[in-house]
Amino acid sequence: MNDRGQRILLWTAPPAVALFALAYLLFPVFSPPLSPTLTPDQVAAFFRSNVTGVLGVAILCNLIACSLVPLFAVTAVQISRTASSSPVLTYAYIICVGVGTTAFILADYCWGMAAFRPDRDPQLTSLLNDMAWFFFIAPVGTIMVQNLCFALSVYLDERRDPIFPRWVAHFNVATVALLAPSAFSILYKSGPLAFNGALSFTLRLTTFAVYIAVMFWALLRAVKHQGHDRVALA
Amino acid sequence: MTDVTEDFTTGVGNSRPDADTRGHVPGDSSMWFFVVGDLIIFGVYFVVYMYFRGQNHELFLHSQARLSLDVGAVNTVMLLSSSLFVALGTVAARAGNSAEALRRFWTALAFGAAFPLLKMFEWIPEISAGLTPGTNLFFMFYYVMTGMHLCHVALGLVIMCFVIRNLKTSQPPKISFVETGATYWHMVDVLWLVLFALLYLMR
Amino acid sequence: MATAPNPEAGQARSWRQNRKLDQWIAFWSVPFFFTLFGLVFVPLSWMMPPRSPSSTTPLIVDFMRSHNLLVACVILTLAFGLAPVSYSCYLIQIRRMSVSPAFRYSMMIGAITGAIVGMLFPMFCFGLGAFRPGYSPAVLTMLYDFGYLAFIGSLGCFCVMWMAFGLAILLDQNNILPKWLGYYTVWQYVTELMAAPVWIAKSGPFAWNGLLTFWFAMTLYVSWQFIVYLCIYRAIKNQPEAELDNARPELQPAALDNGSRMGA
Repeated sequence: MNDRGQRILLWTAPPAVALFALAYLLFPVFSPPLSPTLTPDQVAAFFRSNVTGVLGVAILCNLIACSLVPLFAVTAVQISRTASSSPVLTYAYIICVGVGTTAFILADYCWGMAAFRPDRDPQLTSLLNDMAWFFFIAPVGTIMVQNLCFALSVYLDERRDPIFPRWVAHFNVATVALLAPSAFSILYKSGPLAFNGALSFTLRLTTFAVYIAVMFWALLRAVKHQGHDRVALA
Repeated sequence: MTDVTEDFTTGVGNSRPDADTRGHVPGDSSMWFFVVGDLIIFGVYFVVYMYFRGQNHELFLHSQARLSLDVGAVNTVMLLSSSLFVALGTVAARAGNSAEALRRFWTALAFGAAFPLLKMFEWIPEISAGLTPGTNLFFMFYYVMTGMHLCHVALGLVIMCFVIRNLKTSQPPKISFVETGATYWHMVDVLWLVLFALLYLMR
Repeated sequence: MATAPNPEAGQARSWRQNRKLDQWIAFWSVPFFFTLFGLVFVPLSWMMPPRSPSSTTPLIVDFMRSHNLLVACVILTLAFGLAPVSYSCYLIQIRRMSVSPAFRYSMMIGAITGAIVGMLFPMFCFGLGAFRPGYSPAVLTMLYDFGYLAFIGSLGCFCVMWMAFGLAILLDQNNILPKWLGYYTVWQYVTELMAAPVWIAKSGPFAWNGLLTFWFAMTLYVSWQFIVYLCIYRAIKNQPEAELDNARPELQPAALDNGSRMGA
């Protein structure tokens, strides 16, 4: 029935998360995160000496880039179940996910490119690395708005038996505040706001990981209680 | 999904004998909005073209000489003939004579379809000879304006096919839809006449 | 007497109890986003109106190293998630039309593509040059070209959106949006055709800052953008409450209900 498919899709999320965690741990660019203060020559030298690591993770992430999409898709279905006057929030959510995922893939491409031909002009390698970081930060913007759309749908849910407990909405709003600082990494080369800083890197990734875990739980619960509820065609 | 021709004509009026159409705006009034706006858009292009032609008279003159006047002229005749049959077909439809209207529209379609075909005979040799949109400002204008026009012709042919289908399947024919299609096609023809004069003939 | 609804209460109903709150919140995010966009691109960074493809190298280099480009990137990164919200305002009206869902799905897919290739990627091209000192003029010029070409020359994603939107309006038997708007949307499609030459011309009326490909195309585009949202405002306002997704009786807010409570 309706909820079986959603449950199957939801349970693809834990393996996806495991793979992302593996990618994170193995990625030379993230351990420790590459400093924005390196000169192009230093950046080029880094990629020259980490070809296998970077390429391996780049290929892996290329493959698993969309593996969290099913979880977001189920979220979209549940948003469409909330009793608001239109599917405007569902649509905005879907588009945000598509845009954010594309940006992530482009980041992956750029790092892959940097490692593909390590003897490139150091300026070009450095440029590709910078491009990758820009695209890696970008999804923060779409996640912020999609989470606000989700929270709004929960706040506006007029059902007698709301789909989600209200604290899930509060939590989503909190993630917006925690992710926002990352956007400022474009302006700083050092300190907590830089690409490799405590706020833009550590806090952001931690928030995202916790967010996925919380949403996974909340979605499982929502799908379980869906029963024979008719889902509106969005 | 409902029949497309039904959708186009809903709320816009059905066929009436000839006498009743006098005094009414022929066809869908929002099509006239489109036609006038389209003429304005092309009009801006024509004016800008004239301005730059004035600035680069020699260049434009020499470039124009490389166009194929013959193909251009034949294409003009094709479009004019097509428009003629569209007009005759509309008259027949108004008189309630679907069979005759159908014949005339098929003829119009044949003439109209010749246009893109002949265009290929014009463009392909030109491009092979190295005359591309990037060659100079005249050729950019030439390809852009005739290209935009060609897109309009393609759309017009599609509309004409729907008109033909409408004539075949509904009795009596939906005059408003026929008139809407005819209006659009006449606009396409008028645009070509101006283009032909500006690009090919003007010295 | 106890069950007669108080007419005053209906009028004094706060905005929070508006039946179409989700649509209105989405709608009003649009002028906010567009204004922010305009401020970022014009007075903040002077990316717009576009500089010339034939600018001299020192001018290009100077511009591409400007710190304001980075600030612009930050603001856009924070705000660009609102572009999907602005597209959703179109989608909910198309959904009310009598046409196949394929029209709104086409538009949705075009929107996803366009947000990256036509907005995020070009914006980043402009920020990358300023991020790190030491990039050669050749690299900066390449980024400059890519930035403007991607902004002004992103064509196909918008072609499908305007075609789907325009056709949907023209074919719609519910007359959600006026037919003339459908034809106007066809011109949006035409502005994409008009912009194609930017990939060729380096100067003159067909360059990315050209009279025809930028100024004229933008005149058509921007005016459409205003007009379409005016039409959508009317459409949201005029949508009968009985048609809303949440119009089911058991969901009516307590003020209009006969006293039966429902969960907040």
